[in-house]
Amino acid sequence: MGQAQGGQGGGQRPERDPEKEKAEKERRKKAYEARARSRPPLHTGRRRKRNKGTGTSGRLPKVYPTSKCKLRLLKLERIKDYLLMEQEFIQNQEVFKSHEEKDKEEREKMEELRGSPLAVGSLEEMIDDTHAIVSSSVGPEYYVSVLSFVNQDLLEPGCAVLLHNKVMSVVGILSDDTDPMVSVMKVDKAPLESYADIGGLETQIQEIKEAVELPLAHPELYEEVGIKPPKGVILYGVPGTGKTLLAKAVANQTSATFLRVVGSELIQKYLGDGPKLVRELFRVADDHSPTIVFIDEIDAVGSKRYDSQSGGTREIQRTMLELLNQLDGFDERGDVKVIMATNKIESLDPALIRPGRIDRKIEFPLPDIKTKRHIFGIHTGRMSLGDDVDLEAFVMAKDELSGADIKAVCTEAGLLALRERRMKVTQDDFVKAKEKALYQKKGNIPEGLYI
Amino acid sequence: MRLSGTTRGVSPSRPTPEPAPKHRIVPGDFHRAPTGSVEEFRDRKWAAPAHRVLENEGVQAHCAARRSDGVTRKPDRRCPHWRWFWRRPNSTARASSPRGCRGVQAAMEAQTNAKTEEIEEKKDDDKDLSPEDQMLLEGLELAVERLQDALCSVFHLSDPTIASAALKHLVKEVRSATSSMTSVPKPLKFLRPHYETLKHCHSTGDKTSSTHKLLADLLAVLAMTMSKRGSREILLFKKQGSMQDLGSWGHEFVRSLAGEIGAEYSARHLADKVGNAEIDTHDLAALVDEIVPQCHSAMVLFTEIVLFHLRHNAYAEAVDLLIETQRLPKLLDDYPLEPGKALVDQSNFQRVCLYLLRCGTFMADPDDLKELRQCAFCLYERQGEFSAALGVALQMGDSDENTPFSARCQILFDAADNLTRKQMGFLLARHRSNFEFADDYDVDAIIGNNRLHGYYVDLGRDLDVLDPKTPEDIYKSHLGDSAFSRGPSTSAPHVDSARANLASTFVNAFVNAGFGNDLLMTPEGNAWLYKNKEHGMLSAAASLGMIMMWNVEEGLTMIDKFLYSSEDNVKAGACLAIGIVSSSVRHESDPPIALLPEHLESPSATIRRAAIVALGLAYAGAAREDVLETLAPVLSGSEIFVEAAFAALSLGQIYIGTCDSEVVSLVIQKFMETPDANLDAPEAKFLGLGLSLLFFGRGEKGDAMLEALKTISHSLGTYASVMLETCAYAGTGNVLKIQKMLHICAEHHSESPSVTSEVSLNHRANSSMRTPDASHTLPKTRDLAGAHQSVAVIGIALVTAGEEVGAEMALRTFDHLLHYGEPTVRCAVPLALALLRISCPDYGIVDQMSRLTHDADTQVSLCAILGLGLLGAGTNNSRIAGLLRQLAEHAREPSMLFVVRLAQGLLHMGKGLLTISPFHADRTLISKSAMGAILIFLHCCLDMKRTILDKTHYLMPVSSVPSRLSDDAKAVETVGQAGRPKTITGFQTHTTPVLIGVNDRAELASEEHLAKSNILEGIVILVPSEEEK
Repeated sequence: MGQAQGGQGGGQRPERDPEKEKAEKERRKKAYEARARSRPPLHTGRRRKRNKGTGTSGRLPKVYPTSKCKLRLLKLERIKDYLLMEQEFIQNQEVFKSHEEKDKEEREKMEELRGSPLAVGSLEEMIDDTHAIVSSSVGPEYYVSVLSFVNQDLLEPGCAVLLHNKVMSVVGILSDDTDPMVSVMKVDKAPLESYADIGGLETQIQEIKEAVELPLAHPELYEEVGIKPPKGVILYGVPGTGKTLLAKAVANQTSATFLRVVGSELIQKYLGDGPKLVRELFRVADDHSPTIVFIDEIDAVGSKRYDSQSGGTREIQRTMLELLNQLDGFDERGDVKVIMATNKIESLDPALIRPGRIDRKIEFPLPDIKTKRHIFGIHTGRMSLGDDVDLEAFVMAKDELSGADIKAVCTEAGLLALRERRMKVTQDDFVKAKEKALYQKKGNIPEGLYI
Repeated sequence: MRLSGTTRGVSPSRPTPEPAPKHRIVPGDFHRAPTGSVEEFRDRKWAAPAHRVLENEGVQAHCAARRSDGVTRKPDRRCPHWRWFWRRPNSTARASSPRGCRGVQAAMEAQTNAKTEEIEEKKDDDKDLSPEDQMLLEGLELAVERLQDALCSVFHLSDPTIASAALKHLVKEVRSATSSMTSVPKPLKFLRPHYETLKHCHSTGDKTSSTHKLLADLLAVLAMTMSKRGSREILLFKKQGSMQDLGSWGHEFVRSLAGEIGAEYSARHLADKVGNAEIDTHDLAALVDEIVPQCHSAMVLFTEIVLFHLRHNAYAEAVDLLIETQRLPKLLDDYPLEPGKALVDQSNFQRVCLYLLRCGTFMADPDDLKELRQCAFCLYERQGEFSAALGVALQMGDSDENTPFSARCQILFDAADNLTRKQMGFLLARHRSNFEFADDYDVDAIIGNNRLHGYYVDLGRDLDVLDPKTPEDIYKSHLGDSAFSRGPSTSAPHVDSARANLASTFVNAFVNAGFGNDLLMTPEGNAWLYKNKEHGMLSAAASLGMIMMWNVEEGLTMIDKFLYSSEDNVKAGACLAIGIVSSSVRHESDPPIALLPEHLESPSATIRRAAIVALGLAYAGAAREDVLETLAPVLSGSEIFVEAAFAALSLGQIYIGTCDSEVVSLVIQKFMETPDANLDAPEAKFLGLGLSLLFFGRGEKGDAMLEALKTISHSLGTYASVMLETCAYAGTGNVLKIQKMLHICAEHHSESPSVTSEVSLNHRANSSMRTPDASHTLPKTRDLAGAHQSVAVIGIALVTAGEEVGAEMALRTFDHLLHYGEPTVRCAVPLALALLRISCPDYGIVDQMSRLTHDADTQVSLCAILGLGLLGAGTNNSRIAGLLRQLAEHAREPSMLFVVRLAQGLLHMGKGLLTISPFHADRTLISKSAMGAILIFLHCCLDMKRTILDKTHYLMPVSSVPSRLSDDAKAVETVGQAGRPKTITGFQTHTTPVLIGVNDRAELASEEHLAKSNILEGIVILVPSEEEK
C-alpha cells in the first residue's frame, strides 16, 4: 500500500529532483504508518457506510427503561463511570505522548504534499484502495492515485474531491455535500417572538407544546404512558390567525435545531431537485437532531394529487411523495418533529395529513372576544393612546377580525395619528383605521354597501 | 359587601395600625416576597379592608367582589423554576442525571430546562392572568392571609375554625388541581410566594391542633416544588403531618416523598457510619410501610381506569424505595391491612422480579445484591415459577453461605412437579451444573446431558443437515475467484501440505462436530489419519472425539482402535478424543476416569499430557473428588513442570468457580515452589490460569490469593494476579476492576531487544502444531513484560461480558486501546472483542474486526482473523464467510492461511447448529465451564505462534440444542415498560425446531401450548394448555 505514487504519478512530474521525491516518499510512508496505527484501513468493498462508520464506536448505548427509576439511574451512572475511565485513560496517554505537536508537524507536511492551488474534481470510480478515476469539470478523466492521508471511508463515487494541481492525485475530500439550500434553512438566530406575544391560543400552544417540544425534552413521559409521541402537527386556519407566529415562538423557545422552509422553496427548476432537497432537508434534520422542521404554506407542494399532463405539476407531486416518505416512510426518523402551516387544509392531500404522518391538526380560529381584547392589549401596549380610546367597542364589534387585522388596525391608527402630527392616538383614528383595514380585507367592497 | 355575623366580623378591637400582619415591617421580615415592593404594596391597600370581610364560606364571594372593583393587577409572581422542580425526578439521587455523559437526552434535558426557566420567567412577568386564574389566585391568597392571621396573631386571637376553614380551602384547591403535562398546577404556582409565610405559620402555630397537622401535610406538598434541593423538606413536614393516606395527594407527591426518604436514609446511613451507632430509621420505616402498599394499591386501583403510567411506575417506584432503604424483604409481605393478600402476587411478580434482577446487575454492594437475588428467588418460588427461580439460584451460585446452591436446587426440585423438574434439568444441563438429583433417574440423566446427542441429531435431521461436509464445502474456493483480486494474486503463499491437512482436520472436526459421521475420519481405513504426520496424527485422532461428541457409547467404540495404536501420537489423540466425547456428559459408566488414569503413567510425554488435558475436558465443572485424587499427584509430584501446569489447568477447569481450598493450596504451592526458570515456559501461565479459574466469578473470595501471588517475584506473578482478579469478577461489570485493568493497559514499557529472536521462534513453532519439544529456552522478555497487559485487555471483556451497558461501553474503550496501546495490548483487543460478542456477529463489530485483520501487525491480524471466527462461531454468518474467503485468498503468510481455515471451521461449527456462547437463559447466566474453556482458548491465542495449533482442542463447544419453539425474533428490552409490552419485535413465525441467535428471543405463537420454562431456549417442554387447566 505504500506505493501511493505509482508509475503514472511519478511519470507526470519529471521536473522534481529525485532527492526531494525520496524524502516525500519517506514522509508519506510515515504518514501511512501513523494512520495504520490509529485506524486500520478498511479493505473490504467499496461501498462504505456513510459518515456513521462502524456504528459501534462513538455512540453511547441506549438506556432503557426511559422512565425515571433507579435502574435507569444505575445504568446512566455506569455509563458515566466508563466515560470517566475513558477520559482518564486518554489523558494519561496524551501526557505520555503529546499528540498536538506531532499533529501539527504532520499537518504541515500534509499541506506541503497537497500543494496549492487545489483543483476540484469528482470521483468517478475507485479502482482499489489507492487508485481512482477522477474527472474534473473540464477535460478528460484521469486515473490517479489516492494519497494515503485521505480518509477512505468518506470516498465514494460521485463525491467532490480535491486534486493536486499537477499530478491530479486525490489529496482531499470536499466533505460538506449538504445542499447549501438546506443550510440556509437552519434558523441560527432565534426569532424575537415568544409565547408571550401570542394573544390567546392557549389550547393551541398547549397542543403544540405537547406534540413538538415535550417529546424532545421529556421523551420518557410518553414512554411512561406507553404511547409514541406525535411526529408532527399541522397548523391551519384562516389567514392572520397566528400560525407562523406560533411557529416563531416555538423556534424562540426551543433549544432544538429549528429548520424552516416555505413550501414553495421545495419546488425546483430541474427534475428531481425538489425531492432531493426534501431528502437533504430531512437528512440534515436527522444529523442535527433533535430538530423541529417547520414547513410554511405546505399547500404549495402538498395539494391533492390529480392526473396531470404537465411536467411541472407532476414534479411537484413527486416532491410531495418524497415528503410523505420522509414523514412516515421506511426509515425511522428519530428526534425530528415537523410543523406544517397552511390556510387551506381542505386542499391538502389526505395522505399527507393522515395520522402517523401528521398526528395533530391544530385549528387556529378567529379570535373570540376575550382573545381579541388580549390581542388589542398586546398591540396597543406600547402605543400612546388618547384618553377617549375605548377599545372595548372594537372588541365587542361583530366584525371578523383576525389577529393580523387587529395589528393592522392598530398600526393604521398609529399612522393616521402620525399623519396629523399628533402624539396620541385617538378613538377617531381607530375607527378610521378599522374601516380602512376592513375595506381592504373585503376586497374593495366598502362596508354597508349591501345594506 | 355582606358582612358575616359569625365569630368575627369587622373587629374594631383589632389593632388597626397593622392592617395585615403581612405588611408589618419588622426587622427580619422574612416572609415577604422580596420582589413584591411597590406593586404589592398597592395591592395590599385593596387587600387591607378586604380582609375584614372574612367568613367561612365567603372566600369565593369576596373574590368576586374584588374583581368587580375593576382592578386589573399585574401580579409579580414569578416562579421561574417551576418546570424543573415539578418534573424534578424523585430525589436528588434520582435527579442526578449524569451531566458528564454526553447522552443527547441528558444534554437536551438540561438545555431545555435552563431555557424554559428563562422563558417562563419572562413569560410570567408580562402575562396577564385569565379571570379564572385570578379568582383562584385571590382565593388562595386570601386563605393564606386568614391562616396567617389565625395562627400567628400576636395576641393569640386565633380561631381554630377560621384557620381550619382557610386551610381546608387551600387543601381543596391543591388537591383538586389536575396537573397538565405541560404546566405546573396553578394552585401550586400561586402558592409559591406564600410558601415561606406558611412555613412561618407552621413554626409559630399551635403544635397540638389538628390544623397543625393538616398544615404540615399541605406544606409537604408545597415543598415538593418549592423547597430547596437537598433540604428534604417534604419529609420534614410529612413527618410532622399525618402519615396516612398519602395517595390522595397525588402520585407525583408519593414519588417525590419516596425519593426523599431514600436520600434521607442514605444520608443518615452515612452519618451513622462515622459514629457506628445503631441507625434510627423507625420513623422512615413507618413511611415506607405506608408508601409501598400505596404504590401497589395505586396499581390495583388504577388498572381499571387504564392509567397505564401509574400502573407501571408503581412497582418500579416501590422497589426503588425498598432498595434505597434496604428493606427489600418487605416485598414478600402481605398488605398491612389485608392479611393473606400478598403485596407481590400473580399479577405483578414477573415485573417486580425482572426489575429486581436487572437492578442486580448494577448493584455494587455484594450484600445488597445477595438480598436482592434472594428476594427474587423467594418471589419466584412462591409463585411456583420454579425454572425461573432456578435461574436466579444459578446466578447466586454458592455466594450465600447459609444455603448453598445444591440445597436451593434440592428445594426447588422437591417442590416441582415432574415435567417442571425435567425442564429445570435442561436448564442445569445447559449450565453444565454438577448438581445431582438422586430421586429421579430421568431427570438426573437430563442434567447429565445423556440424551444431548440424540436431541442434537434430531435437530440436525429436522433441519436436514445430517449429511457430512468436507472442508472444501466450507472453503468454497471457487467462490473466491478473481472477483476481489485486483491486486497481484501471484504472491499467494505456498502452503505446505502438512498444514493444509491439519487445517482440514480441524475444519472437518468442527463442521461435523457431534453428528457422528464425516468423510475423513469415520470411514473405514484410517486413510486420513495416516496422511498426517506426528502431531497431525494426534489432532486427527482427537478430532474423532469432536465428531462423536456427546455420544459416549458409540464414540468410545470408534476411538477404541486408536487406543491400541503403536504410534504415541495416535494414542495421545485417542486420549484427547475420550475427553472430548464425554465432555459435559455425565455417563453412568464414566469412561474417562476408567480409561485415562492408566495413561497418566505412560512413558510417552505426549500421552501423559493428553490424558491430563482430557480429564480436564471431560470433567469440566464437575468438581469430582476422584479426579482430583488422580490429578493431584501429577500436579504436586510430577518432575516435569509442563505436566504439572497442565494438571493445574485441568483442575482449574474441573473445580471452576468453587474456591475448593484443597485444590487452591495445591496449585499455589506448586506456583511457589517452581523455580523461575520453569516459570518462563509458555505453559507456566496455565498454572496461573488454572488458579484463576478456581475463583471464577467469586468476587472478593480471590483477594487472599491475590496477596499470595504478590509474593511471587517472577513476572508471571503479576500475570497470574491480573488473570485471577478478572476471573473472580467475571461477568459482574465491576467498574473498579475495569479501571484497574485500564491502568495496567495504560502502562508503557520500552521495547525489548529480543523481538528478532521471537520472530525466528515464531516460524519454527508455526511450522507444526504444539511442539512440546521445541525449545522454549529463549528468553521471552518482551512477551512477559507485556503479557499481563494482554490479560488485562481480555479481563476487561471478561468483567463486562454479560452486562449490556458495560459491554457496549467496553467497545468504546477498546477503540482507545487500539489507538494508544502497546503492541501487546493491541493484539489482545481482537480477542477481547470476540469474547464480548462470542457467537454473535453484529454488523458493526464484524466490520471493526475485519479492519483489524488487515492490521500492519501480524499478531494483531492473526488474532483478528480468529476473532472473526469466534464472533461467528456456529452461525454460518455469510458476511463473515465472505470476509474469510477473501482473507484466505490474500493471506500474506502460511500461518495466516492456517488461522483463516480455523476461523472458517469455527464459523461453520456443527453446520451452524452449535454455539460457543457461554451466555444462556436470555443472556442472564454464564456457564462457567464454557467460559473457562473459552478463556483457555483465548489465552492460547495470546501466545498464538507457539501454542494455538493444537490447543484448539480445548475449545469445548457448548451446543445450542434442539429447541421446540414456535417463534423467533429479535429481543427487546422489556424492563420497565408501560403496559404489557411485547417482548419481541420484528418476528417471524417458525415451526420447531428453530435456531435462535444469541441476541434473539422466542415466544410461543399459539396459545395451544404452555411452556414449562419462562425462557424459550434449548429444549422446552410444552404442555397443551387445556391440560394445564
